[in-house]
Amino acid sequence: MGADLFEIGVNTAKLLVIFLMMVQIVPLLVWVERRGSAYIQNRFGPNRVGPLGLTQLLADAVKFIFKEEFIPDKNRRFIFYAAPVVALIPGALAFAAIPLSIPISVETFELFGQSWGPYTFLFQGYEVGIGIVFVLGVSSLGAYALLMAGYGSSNKYSMFGALRASAQMISYELALGLSLVGILLIFNTFDFQQIIDAQKGQMVIAGNALPLPNWGIFYQPIGFILFVIAVFAETNRLPFDLPEAESELVAGYHTEYGGIKMNMFYIGEYGHMLVASGLMVTFYFGGYNLPWFLPQAEELIASYGNVMAAVILHLVFLAKVGLFLWIFVWVRWTIPRFRYDQLMDLGWKTMLPWALANTIITAIVVFWMRS
Amino acid sequence: MAGDSILFYALSFLIIYFALGVLMNPNPIKAAFNLVLAMVGVAGVFFHLQSGFLGGVQLAVYAGAVMVLFVMVLMIFDLKKERDAFSQGFLGNIGKLLAAGIVVSLVINNVILSSDLQLATSNAAKAESGRDTTKILADLIFTEYVFAFEVLGILLLLVAIGAVSISRIKGGTHADS
Amino acid sequence: MASIVPVLVLTAIVVGFGIFLVVVTGMLGPKLPQSELKKKSYECGIEVQETGHSKIPIKFYLTAILFILFDIEIIFMYPWAVTFADSITGGYGLQVLLAMGVFLFVFIVGLFWEVKSKALEWE
Repeated sequence: MGADLFEIGVNTAKLLVIFLMMVQIVPLLVWVERRGSAYIQNRFGPNRVGPLGLTQLLADAVKFIFKEEFIPDKNRRFIFYAAPVVALIPGALAFAAIPLSIPISVETFELFGQSWGPYTFLFQGYEVGIGIVFVLGVSSLGAYALLMAGYGSSNKYSMFGALRASAQMISYELALGLSLVGILLIFNTFDFQQIIDAQKGQMVIAGNALPLPNWGIFYQPIGFILFVIAVFAETNRLPFDLPEAESELVAGYHTEYGGIKMNMFYIGEYGHMLVASGLMVTFYFGGYNLPWFLPQAEELIASYGNVMAAVILHLVFLAKVGLFLWIFVWVRWTIPRFRYDQLMDLGWKTMLPWALANTIITAIVVFWMRS
Repeated sequence: MAGDSILFYALSFLIIYFALGVLMNPNPIKAAFNLVLAMVGVAGVFFHLQSGFLGGVQLAVYAGAVMVLFVMVLMIFDLKKERDAFSQGFLGNIGKLLAAGIVVSLVINNVILSSDLQLATSNAAKAESGRDTTKILADLIFTEYVFAFEVLGILLLLVAIGAVSISRIKGGTHADS
Repeated sequence: MASIVPVLVLTAIVVGFGIFLVVVTGMLGPKLPQSELKKKSYECGIEVQETGHSKIPIKFYLTAILFILFDIEIIFMYPWAVTFADSITGGYGLQVLLAMGVFLFVFIVGLFWEVKSKALEWE
């Protein structure tokens, strides 16, 4: 981490801010989800509290906090309380590893009669050299929160929900992991920063510049589709929300939870969505880079300075992520839920073979192009 | 560096603490959760020793896959009888510790006696970043140990066939006894 | 150089935040009298039916074990994919491609056999 006090302070503050970003996105997304679903279903949605119903979120938060705490008769109380806390961890750890913008360099400056710097601060929580493997490993821990919730509740519906959820998550983790092999074959690195840097500029094939940005989706279209389907299943969103299928399982693994504990599961779920959207943007849509005909990072730094350029590119990143978050909401109200056997069939018998074929074809093409 | 060593020992202490938790906890599911935490701790040690890829594999395969299976299976078979059989208080714990101690000392003995330890340290010196350890690993797997790698593929296939066959036995594990 | 310290710091922040929320909201909420009915598990208002040993399909177990096997195989593809370009420039690309080809062949045979043997069938 940091070499001196200033650097340690900034890096710690960065971690806090990124975590709070993840927590804050939840009320916003809930609002988008409600208004969006109302829009899709030709209703009004929440529009009474504040402009456009925006302060509804505050009212919700207050209600969550001041709810009576239910203490159902449990003999597994520790696991019951620990599950929502565990649900927060995978999303937060994975999101902090994704680069959100270009690094900011700080020149040497004088403060408190001492000279500090120069520093380079990365626009992300921390850098792990093996980004992809780290994120996959951390998000595979997400199954434990569900299993703990199911076991701790000592309710048979929670238990079924948890088992279904974890079986679904692990089935789609295979397709998820395999769909990324193509990206690895093309970019040859686990590092997010290098993947983003490799997607700058215009697409060049055999010496001809094509009118397309050099983004991963144009190299891996099938991989992208598989990745999107797999992350929908991983985040337990409709059409894959079997674990909380209310017509069959009451509310799945969080049947027994109420108030803020319930909300913490939501933070975990939306955090997962945020990570998924961030990964889609990083792997397939050039990260925070703008397309080649718009100003690139170097030009932005030259004309606006480092900090402004980082902020602009961060907004670009957020805009791309926001688009995918909207697609999550959109799909939820468009496609009906799968049946459980269809879900498993899709994961094992459709996604896995397609991902395998994608890997083999990519490997052969890479071999042919490079040798 | 001193800070690095402190972190290493702190992580090791946590791993041993959770490993003891696995032994001492009479509730099989809580023991399994302790084992998960121990696995995560091992992944942390891998990351700390700059073997990021191995750390990620440890997280994804051991903590994220093998232990999910364990926890799921323990939840499916609500182990009430076994729980009584294995929680016999102080004496039972001593027995568990002794048995674990014998296994651990055998492992340590083998590690110390084996001469391959030299090779590991020489490779670790070469590894400077996460990318490089991955590269060394891949080069070794796909050139020197390629036969072992292919045999592993067949072994995994055989395990799959075995698992499917066992689940086919009439009544499976749910045969009424 | 990647360090694990920030990861640990963030974990501590998240866990601290979570414990804070659970503990504080537990204290803030109203304390209403508890009744026997309130303490029961929620099963849509029907009397809780304790079945004791509930039977759960072995499919879950089978899915998990097949997942582990395939997960290990996929993890082996990661170092291969990352170093494939280097292998090609190093002149032994074909050898590495064939090594993975044989491995993938076994993988596909395994997947095909599992589909054929109806191990992945949910009814």
